[in-house]
Amino acid sequence: MKKWLQPGLWIPLLLVAAFAAYPAITGSASARETMFTMIMSIGLASSLNILLGYTGYVSFGHIVFFGLGGYLGFWAIDELGWHLAPAVLLGGVTAGLLALLLGLAILRLRGAYFALATIGVNEAMKSLVMNLPFLGAATGMELNFSVYKSYGGPATALWMVYWSLAAIVLIITVVSYAVKKSKFGLGLMAIREDEDAAGIMGVVSSRAKTWAYVLSAVFPGMIGVLFFFKNGIIEPGSAFRLNLSIELLVMVMLGGAGTVLGPILGGAFYQRLRGLLLTSDLFKNIQLAVAGLLLLLIVLFIPSGAVGWLRERSDRLRRVLE
Amino acid sequence: MLRKGFLILLIVALGVMLAACAGETSAPAGDSAATGDSAGEAAGDGGQMATIGFTASLTGKLNVESTRQTNGLNLWMKQVNDAGGVALDGGAVQFQSTFYDDESNQDRVQELYTRLATEDGANFLISPYSSGLTAASSVIAEQYEKVMITTGAASDSNYTQGYTLVYQAYTPASKYLTGAVDMIAANSPDLKKLAIVHENDKFSTDVSTAAEEYALEQGFEVVLFEGYDSGTTDFAPIINKVEQAGPDAILGGGHFQDGSTFARQLAEKGVATEYLVLLVAPPEPTFAELGDAAIAVAGPSQWEPQAAYTAEAAEAGGMEWYGPTGEEFVSAYEDEYGEEPSYHAAGGYTAGLVLQAAIEKAGSLETAAVKEALDGLDILTFFGHIKFDTSEEAHGLQVGHEMVYIQWQKNDAGDLVKEIVWPAEAKTAEALHPVR
Repeated sequence: MKKWLQPGLWIPLLLVAAFAAYPAITGSASARETMFTMIMSIGLASSLNILLGYTGYVSFGHIVFFGLGGYLGFWAIDELGWHLAPAVLLGGVTAGLLALLLGLAILRLRGAYFALATIGVNEAMKSLVMNLPFLGAATGMELNFSVYKSYGGPATALWMVYWSLAAIVLIITVVSYAVKKSKFGLGLMAIREDEDAAGIMGVVSSRAKTWAYVLSAVFPGMIGVLFFFKNGIIEPGSAFRLNLSIELLVMVMLGGAGTVLGPILGGAFYQRLRGLLLTSDLFKNIQLAVAGLLLLLIVLFIPSGAVGWLRERSDRLRRVLE
Repeated sequence: MLRKGFLILLIVALGVMLAACAGETSAPAGDSAATGDSAGEAAGDGGQMATIGFTASLTGKLNVESTRQTNGLNLWMKQVNDAGGVALDGGAVQFQSTFYDDESNQDRVQELYTRLATEDGANFLISPYSSGLTAASSVIAEQYEKVMITTGAASDSNYTQGYTLVYQAYTPASKYLTGAVDMIAANSPDLKKLAIVHENDKFSTDVSTAAEEYALEQGFEVVLFEGYDSGTTDFAPIINKVEQAGPDAILGGGHFQDGSTFARQLAEKGVATEYLVLLVAPPEPTFAELGDAAIAVAGPSQWEPQAAYTAEAAEAGGMEWYGPTGEEFVSAYEDEYGEEPSYHAAGGYTAGLVLQAAIEKAGSLETAAVKEALDGLDILTFFGHIKFDTSEEAHGLQVGHEMVYIQWQKNDAGDLVKEIVWPAEAKTAEALHPVR
């Protein structure tokens, strides 16, 4: 019980809750959209962190779960007329199942081989979807505007999507903390440090890795449904966008891999920075160059990420930040 | 020590930058990204200022087309402001734009359009470039009750999703090849057998399926309907099938690479046909590099610089003529940007022109009044005929605009040139046939 009262948990939770509450306090739709992008990134980065940070497996194609979950959920809403809630669950379950199957196969690979395989999986899934007529093949699917009306109008629907996202990201934060503090998490970290040694110590690494993979896939699947429902359109190109996958890696690295707070800070900082540059008069024409330069400098000088850097500064911070 | 110094520098630089950005974002909405015209001051003379919001793909794969589209829109805005704006009861309305980079992907389209509609106080919206991005922005336009003119978004499906404020300037994808069928019927009424050979992707398949349906309705016989994989380089098996079917005309194609390869291999094999009409590839200037294989190959384009839509044609067709002539547009565009306008640029200009026509007709900037004016709009411009579907099922779909069909012909000097051969009111030359 005591571990649930640690600042390592409530600091990240409070931070996410504060981000989420901001648009409600200002009541601004524009703030809600900005925070949606940011909280979505936090959720995706935190999910990836379970695999990347705790287990030490670099997944370049993690966006495949976001895309596939989004596709299945979108299809259920559009074609089967499902409500958003079960569709979100369907997205999560589908992504989890895919990770389970994939995990059994490709988690035997290590290092660069695994990273390459994940890119392959993403591209293969994109090609598959492009050839599935029931998922709209090459041009994807669009949602009729009347669907939003059945949720009490588009404005209500967008707020509902926003709160659902915030709730899911809060859950991800708790899960991330719980994993880190559990025996299961210890096993993952042992694998990260030395997989063979972990095996000798009694960690069944194939099983542990697979479950870490599944856990890190379920939530992106759910978030995908929310995003594409809000977007009103899903296409193979936007669902399986490798760039977003790489941006997620950057977010985790920026904030600090292997920490609960890191991906939250990294996601928030990265998206806020991009958002500000994008809408700023001064930088909007060169925003990508500026963002790239900043990231390069940060990675060069703070390689352990923001949280890692803070933890190195003082003992007290090390006790408080997870 | 050096490392620490760098770190401090980095943090300071970051702080300054964030402060600069934060300062700007809290600036009054609307003028945060004005185009820099003298619009701002002019509006002080008791007139009004209308803001047009959109996103442009300043970065990413859609950059070239999107930039041309934005150039066209900006040219329209400059011209209308220089002319004193649009006269309304409350004084002249001038225009300014607010735009952001959408990076050619959908991730932030809704975020940016929400910002445009709520914080930046945009009165009207123009779509991003491409159907996918436009679909994401349509949700926002509809939700915040802003009229949005779409350009660079040909897909039909966006207009069957129940939107009431989204209006399409382009000819929809389903009509890309139907004009070719009309052209054949008009020029050679005794030809009946068509072969449709298309790339197996969604766009080309949709276009070809619609063309087949239309051709059958018009009494044609489709003797071959065949798809080929994207990236096909050897068309020999397909060409064998075409020869066996013995069609009078061949329609289809896909994108630039496969379309030009198909045209070249048909020429090498000497396949006899009265007409050859392919998607996307023929209007590109580089298609001329095929040399003799390009002769008499036709293709649809949204607009071409030599398209001769005129006030007389408007009168003959019982439509109102609106805006500059094609020549005026081309020379103004060349003066401003130093290149010949593509159809993307013309589409951007037309989006502004359509909005201007609707505002004039409505006599107001109110969404409801402008919507009503757009619903009733029936004009001929240098870009072609503009009229929107007003039915509940496909509201806003473009029903007036026709593709123009270009054909590569040799001029008197023996050079390959693009001539417009269809529709009748825009043609600059008679269609050359047979191809071989």
